[in-house]
Amino acid sequence: MTDSHASHGRTYLMIFVILCCLTVVSVIADEVKVADRSVVLAIVAAIAMAKATCVVLYFMHLKFERGWKYLLLGPTLLLAASVPFALAADLAFHYYANDVPQQREFERLEAASTSSDHVAAPH
Amino acid sequence: MTAAAHPVRMGLPIPNSKLGMWLFLGTEIMLFTAFIGTFIVLRLGSRGWPTDPHVTHINVWAGAINTFILLFSSYLVVVAHDKLLQNKPSAARLAIIGALVCGLAFLGIKSVEYRGKFDHGIIPGRIPENESQAMENVLRQVDARMERLVASLPVEGDKRDVRLTAVDQELLDLKAKSEPTPAEVIQLKTLESFKTTWDALLPAYLNLRDHARDKISFTVPFAELENVRASQTSAPPLSFSEFVDEFEKVRQSDALKGVLGNVVVTQPIVYGNLFASTYFFVTGFHAIHVIVGLLLFLIILAWGPGCSALFVENCGLYWHFVDVVWIFLFPLIYIL
Repeated sequence: MTDSHASHGRTYLMIFVILCCLTVVSVIADEVKVADRSVVLAIVAAIAMAKATCVVLYFMHLKFERGWKYLLLGPTLLLAASVPFALAADLAFHYYANDVPQQREFERLEAASTSSDHVAAPH
Repeated sequence: MTAAAHPVRMGLPIPNSKLGMWLFLGTEIMLFTAFIGTFIVLRLGSRGWPTDPHVTHINVWAGAINTFILLFSSYLVVVAHDKLLQNKPSAARLAIIGALVCGLAFLGIKSVEYRGKFDHGIIPGRIPENESQAMENVLRQVDARMERLVASLPVEGDKRDVRLTAVDQELLDLKAKSEPTPAEVIQLKTLESFKTTWDALLPAYLNLRDHARDKISFTVPFAELENVRASQTSAPPLSFSEFVDEFEKVRQSDALKGVLGNVVVTQPIVYGNLFASTYFFVTGFHAIHVIVGLLLFLIILAWGPGCSALFVENCGLYWHFVDVVWIFLFPLIYIL
């Protein structure tokens, strides 16, 4: 430990400011009422990825580490993706509509909301 | 140049403790990816998932403030490591204290959020998902308070019916006494007060219960429910809002304010239980990691100026990972 070590304080501060700005953009994306929520989804997902990348590269120093990071993290990320990947086909991306009580209740509420809109709408 | 001058180094070119930390973080990445990935898949597969903040009681500003707090704490930890490398242990210590305070603030805000959920009945397994369940939820709470009321009486017996019979008998005996002792006078007052409450509570409960069970509007009086049931004639249906109005009338009555004051009326939330389970599971697991991080900071502070930069770096790696997890949880839970 020597005091000849070059400080990275300025870089860290810059990364922190960038992270804060990105968080503000996320909140603004939520507060601005965009009709298509998939636009908000795309924005906040991209921001989360960018923030995580900043933290991992600079705060966790992976930018400055050697090739071992690929050896260690590559298989980990591959295995990590396996659980949601395995579940997705059965739970989220099937061709049929779920036949569960919650789904029926949701459809009933939607139908009630649509009919009340028709009643309220001026003729 | 001999082999002795440059001994062959086996393994990866990083200290063993740092390798250990990265291997541990590898397992953590797999764990949290499974949690977060499952959360996303469940949500995509559940049409009607609750997103309205008035229903879920999710406050985006609380999440945003917590995000800033964690980001700032991560920045402080990396500064602490940098200061140690520059041989400035006092500055490093200050930065770690700052990170510790940030972590505590994060947990404080999180607990306020949890408290808000509990107050609104957002508890896994306790959320009604349709109107019948919502009415049953209120009736279940009223019944539990009736049970507690009877259990608190100073009479013998295990079951509710036995204890109620004992109350009636005890009242008769006490009233028959010409010269009761002071203790018996108190007992008499307690039981008479209970009877007043009970005589208001029981018919109100039965009225709510039977109308909810038969799904018949309160415009049909309680005494006529049996006839409507027997004749199988059509009756005006009961809605949850009408049920809540009737319950509130009962709750506001002078005799029952003290008994039913804290009954939580929860609106039906489609997929509310799945939402609550995943919310508490994912954020709770993250909070446990925050607590472990705070313990690591305490170890650094207890160690004092002699604490190695490598140890601080390893603790920092863990803390930044906790930060990365929150970076994904924030949009998933608070925004989408």
